[in-house]
Amino acid sequence: MIKRLVLDVLKPHNPSVVELSESLSHLEGVEGVNVIIYEIDQQVENVKIIIAGSHIDFESIKKKLTEMGATIHSVDEVAAGKRIVEEVRTPQDKSARM
Amino acid sequence: MKRVRALFRRIKLYIQITQMKPIARRYFIKNGFDGSMTLLGIIVGSWVVGVTKPEIIVTAGLGACLAMGLSGLFGAYMTERAERTRHLKTLEATMLTDLSSSVLSDASDFVSVYAAFVDGASPILTAVISLIPFILTLTGTFVIWDAYIVSFILTLGTLFCLGLYLGRIAKENMLLYGGITLAVGVLTVVIALLLGAI
Repeated sequence: MIKRLVLDVLKPHNPSVVELSESLSHLEGVEGVNVIIYEIDQQVENVKIIIAGSHIDFESIKKKLTEMGATIHSVDEVAAGKRIVEEVRTPQDKSARM
Repeated sequence: MKRVRALFRRIKLYIQITQMKPIARRYFIKNGFDGSMTLLGIIVGSWVVGVTKPEIIVTAGLGACLAMGLSGLFGAYMTERAERTRHLKTLEATMLTDLSSSVLSDASDFVSVYAAFVDGASPILTAVISLIPFILTLTGTFVIWDAYIVSFILTLGTLFCLGLYLGRIAKENMLLYGGITLAVGVLTVVIALLLGAI
């Protein structure tokens, strides 16, 4: 069961991030949603969506995003299982070597 | 009850997505104003030539209502649909996605009908207000000449109210806007009376 999902999404200006986040938050298994705009173009905007919940259904998230006119560019992070495992820095990470 | 609430939420979402609120307001005021002015023209014209049969004014007025209503209904539907389709296609090209199953497509369809309804109903509504005294004359409540006076007052009152509403939208002096729309009505009456006197 998915507990955290980080998505890179392309969406039109309308529905706005308010409506998008509200509609996602109403889905079953979703407990919290965070939508951050990081790039705005003339017709569309790129947003980072962080969804947290007890049992997130990825298909229903995808369906809702399609319904709202948005498309998933990439799935950037998925945390699943009984507890959330945070990212750890390893010597192989560029940031860790610096 | 839950379904009705969901339906209203959906409609609210469609209006938000398409940013239809100010457009619908414009349609309402513009065509409402048209409705009142058309009826004012019919009524002043009838007064000038001395029409004493209320059924003539009511029939002419309802005919004008029907024409304005249908014109608004189809005109707004076709215009709005064309604009929304164009917008959706541009968006699809930008996003490289098919948006036909999205809420944007549903919202486009909905607002075309919504705009048509507002555009069609507003002139009928304002025109019928002007016709009420003549309809009452048909039932024997008014004498025709009293109906003319009451109808003038109602029509000019409607124009004034539309002006007040415009002033409220603009967040400016409502009375000033009301005065302007009233003045346009009075000017129409004066010109029509002068033409009748020639």
